[in-house]
Parts: sequence; structure tokens; C-alpha cells
Amino acid sequence: MEDLPELIVSATASGCIYALVALAYLLILRPTSVINFAIGEWAATGAFIGVAVLTPLAWPRLEGPYWLALVAVLVILGLLGWLVEVVTVRPLIRRGAGITSPILALLGVLVIFRESLTMLFGADPLPSPPPFGFKRVALGPFAGASQQFLIIGATFAVFVAVWLFFERTVWGRAFEAVALNRRAAALIGINLRRVTALAFAAGAMVAGLAGLLMTPLTSAHYMMGLPLAIQGFTALVIGGVGRVEGALLGGLLLAFVEQLGARYLPIPSGLTLGFPFVLLIVFLFLRPGGLIAPREAC
Amino acid sequence: MPGASRVLAWLAAIVAASALAFWLGGYATDVYRKMLIWIALALSYNFLFGIAGQVAFSHFAFAGVGAYAVVILAHKIGLPFGIAFIGALALCALLAYIVALPATRLEGFYLALATLAFSQLVLVVIDEGGSLTGGTGGIANYRLPPVLGFAIRGPWYTVLLVLLVALTLWTLVRLDHSAFGRACRAIRDNAVAAAAMGVDVRRVKVLAFTLTSTLAGLAGIAYAYVDNVINPSVFGLENIFLLLFMIIIGGSGSHLGAIIGAIVVYLAPFLLEPIVGHGFLVVFGVLVVLTILFQPAGLAGLLTWRAARQAT
Repeated sequence: MEDLPELIVSATASGCIYALVALAYLLILRPTSVINFAIGEWAATGAFIGVAVLTPLAWPRLEGPYWLALVAVLVILGLLGWLVEVVTVRPLIRRGAGITSPILALLGVLVIFRESLTMLFGADPLPSPPPFGFKRVALGPFAGASQQFLIIGATFAVFVAVWLFFERTVWGRAFEAVALNRRAAALIGINLRRVTALAFAAGAMVAGLAGLLMTPLTSAHYMMGLPLAIQGFTALVIGGVGRVEGALLGGLLLAFVEQLGARYLPIPSGLTLGFPFVLLIVFLFLRPGGLIAPREAC
Repeated sequence: MPGASRVLAWLAAIVAASALAFWLGGYATDVYRKMLIWIALALSYNFLFGIAGQVAFSHFAFAGVGAYAVVILAHKIGLPFGIAFIGALALCALLAYIVALPATRLEGFYLALATLAFSQLVLVVIDEGGSLTGGTGGIANYRLPPVLGFAIRGPWYTVLLVLLVALTLWTLVRLDHSAFGRACRAIRDNAVAAAAMGVDVRRVKVLAFTLTSTLAGLAGIAYAYVDNVINPSVFGLENIFLLLFMIIIGGSGSHLGAIIGAIVVYLAPFLLEPIVGHGFLVVFGVLVVLTILFQPAGLAGLLTWRAARQAT
């Protein structure tokens, strides 16, 4: 049990990454009902943009500062998310195609992103340096890599910002209104197209941030997207798709079950890989609403 | 009612596809056999996804269960092949039924994610199965025993695969034209309206899932003796994406579309890889997006106007 505090730090950091991916899903799913499975690839895109800016890989002998990587990830992913919405989702919604059509089209987008990343960056994992170096940080018994504490801090900042956006701003209320009832929201003058496009842009930015934050721990790899997409979705289902806090709770719960289970349960480590899938199935079947009940339309 | 000419057309197609097996060389035979497996899988997946409207990601998992079950039962445990074959098929059907009972209650893409989780679990179990499943290395060094006294080798195994495709197609076409097929399409288009017209939605959904997944298991059993090697990677997520793309590009809901889609998507890499390398997957992604946006009836819809009418 001596390593428990460190395990808690590590599980919290992983959980925060899952939570960010879950939040990216949620930002898109709430107003549009579209489950965007390409989210994982968008996180991978963020990771590779980070590598390209921070290491001399893309431009030899040029290593950019971390704030530039952050800005590049947010700007490029925001544009990409917006572009994907305009090109693939908007025409389908306008045509009145069923909700499955945009979801399937986004699976095509997923493959386009992944294979483009593979062609641009190759198949080998690429490390990126942590902004605060490789030194260890200890807060009392809780010790871990500086990057883990950065992930935790950044995630909480993002969640507070998103929570304030939804609770305190007109735009946030507009998002919430669209999520509750698209037609009524349109009737009271909310611009549905703009909300949908912004939802995709915001989702892509959050996903890209998750990718950028996790790369110093895991490296950027072309196969990183799909597992992230599954883990993020599992976190979303555990927490419930209705509330922002649910994504955070679901991500943390998933990571703690994974890591504490792998550490303390007397079963082969390979089988612990199945934990997220078991959790996903259990929650989908037994508690499809997640742990936190969604806000009722009043 | 199928007339004599239709029976003749079926026979002619089977004979032609079988005759090809005796003419092809070693490498071409391998390509041809795998294409036939893909067509069989695409046909049953088209019924599940295109006709019954269930976006499930478990099709390859059931193919894997079929393949592993028959090899383990026949060659690890040593049961007679007939019993191993029936056992493997029964296991697929039972497992599919157990999965279908809760899974078909899920709406839309939630079904896809639940079945995706199930497929990943199947892979985890195969990877961790130790000597029984051979772990990540899989199982090799077995051969198809004589079936009913016939030792099926070489081109005759390819003929068997042609018959598998014909049997799959025949079963699904018959189902499609029955009340069951109409109920499936009705549920796909509007489950509430279908229920209001007296369709037992749950039962039809569970049946469609169980039946098509069992057909996937059958294709998996046939696959086990194509290379006489099975390993977990074949049954992973990559291939379910390809299968889905085959149906979308070929024309969702159309049997002809499933066949065309399977042939095009399976053969395209052989032509494209020398030109664009691994980039052919990007081409598929673009094709899928374009198909959904501009040609929802797929290639089959382009080919014949009638096929397009049936698919929509």
C-alpha cells in the first residue's frame, strides 16, 4: 500500500485525460445528438501538432515554446472541428437525414484523420517534452511527474471554464436550450447552425488539448486515437451525458478502477485491459443515464 | 415465385464462380478465397446494418468466436469435425442471443458502442486464453479433416466457399422478401410506427441480430480453414470499419450493393497500394463521406435505378 498516494496521482491524471475526451464528446453530443467517434483522432491530431511545434521534427533546429503549441492546437483544432461540421454534418442535417448518417460520415472522417496523421508523421511513436521538465513534484505524500500535476490543474481549469460558460453566459444558455429542445430553441431565435458549428469547434479544441497534455507521458502515436475514443466515451456513459460534472466524475472513476484494479486485483494484467469495456457494457445496460441525472426540461 | 430462369441464373453464377477456382493460381486463389469470405460477411452485415438498421460493431467478434470455437473443439479437444462444427455454430447463436437481449434495447449508436465493447472483450479473452487460444500468436498447424468422407482440398475448398456465399445470399434474400424482412425494414425506418402496426419490435430485432451474427460465425468457421491459421488481430476493430465501409460504399440495404462493396473495397488496395501506398485508407474514408453526402444508395444505386429503389 506504500505506492497508493502515487497511484492516486497517476490515476487522477489519466482520469483527467479521459474526462477531457468525455467533455469533448459531451460538447458535441448535447446540442446535436451526434456521437462523434472521430474525437479520439482529434486528440491524436492535437498530440502531433504539439510534437511538431515543440520538437525539431517538422522544422529542423526550431523548437517552439509551449504557449505556441497550446495556441496552435486550439486554433487548428477549432478550425478543423468547424470545417468538419460544415462539410460533413451540416448538409446531412439540412437534408433531414437520420441521426445515424452524420455519425457514420464521422467514422469516415476518423479514418481520414488517422491515415493522414500516419502519412504525415510516420508510424513510430514520437515523444514530446513536458513544459516543466522531467522533475518530480511532491505535495506531501502525493508525488508524481510535473506533467501529471499540469494535467490535473489544466483539466480542472477547463471544467470550471466550461461550467461557468454553461451556467453564466447567454451563449451557454443557448447551448443548453438547443440540447433540451432544438425546435423550441430555433423558435426563440437561437441560431442552430452557429451553435452546432461552435459545438464541433469547442469539442475539437478540448480533444486537442487532451492530446497535447498527455503526449509527454505517452508519446504521440497514430494508434492512440481509437483507445482514447473508447475510454472517453466510457467515461461519458459512466458520468451521464446530461451534465458537465458527469464527464469529470466518469473519467476519474474509470481511471481509478483501471489502475487500482490492475495494481491490487489478483488477476492477470492482460485481463485488466477489459475493465473499461465491462464498465461500458454495465453502464449502458443497467444505468444508461449515467451516475448524475441530467437536468430536466422545466 | 422464382421461375425456372431464376434457378438457372443462380446455378450459372455458382458454376461460374466455382470454375474460376480451378483456373486461378496459388496467390490468386488466396485472394479469391478471402474475397469470398468478405462477401459472405458483407451480405450478413448488410442485413443487420442496412436492412434491420442496427449499427453493431460485433460482426467480426462473432466470426472470431466461430473460427476459434471450431478449431478449439475439433483440434484442441479432438471432437469429431461434424460435432465441432455444430457446436461452434450453436455457440455463436447462443452468444449472439445473449448479447442481443440487452443490446437491442439500446438506441442508435449506443448499440455500436456496446457491441464494440463486447468485441474488445472477446479479443481480451482470446489474448489471455493461454494455450487454449494460443494468446496473441493464435493457433496454427491444423487441417480440415474429411467431411462426410470427402477430403476437401485445393480448389474444392474454394468451391465450398462459393457455396457458403450462395447459401448466405439465398437465406438473406428469402428472409428479406418474407414478412420478417419487411418487419426489419419497417423497424429501421420507424420503430414506433412498426410497433403500432403490430410488429413485435424487440423480437424482430433480437432475431435479426442473432441470425446475422450466426451467419458471421459460419463465415468465421470457413475462414479458419483458408490459411489454417487463426490469430486475434483478424477479428479486431480495423476490419469492422472496412466491413461498414463496404456496405456504405456498395449501397446500404442492397444485397447487390453488399457484394459490389465487398469486391471493390477488398480489391481496391491491391490496385491502389502500388500508387498511393498506405494512403488507400484515406481514399476509403473520403469515399464513405462522399457516398453518405451525395449517393446514399451507394454504387448499387448508381448501377441500376431499380436497385436504388429497393435500397431506399
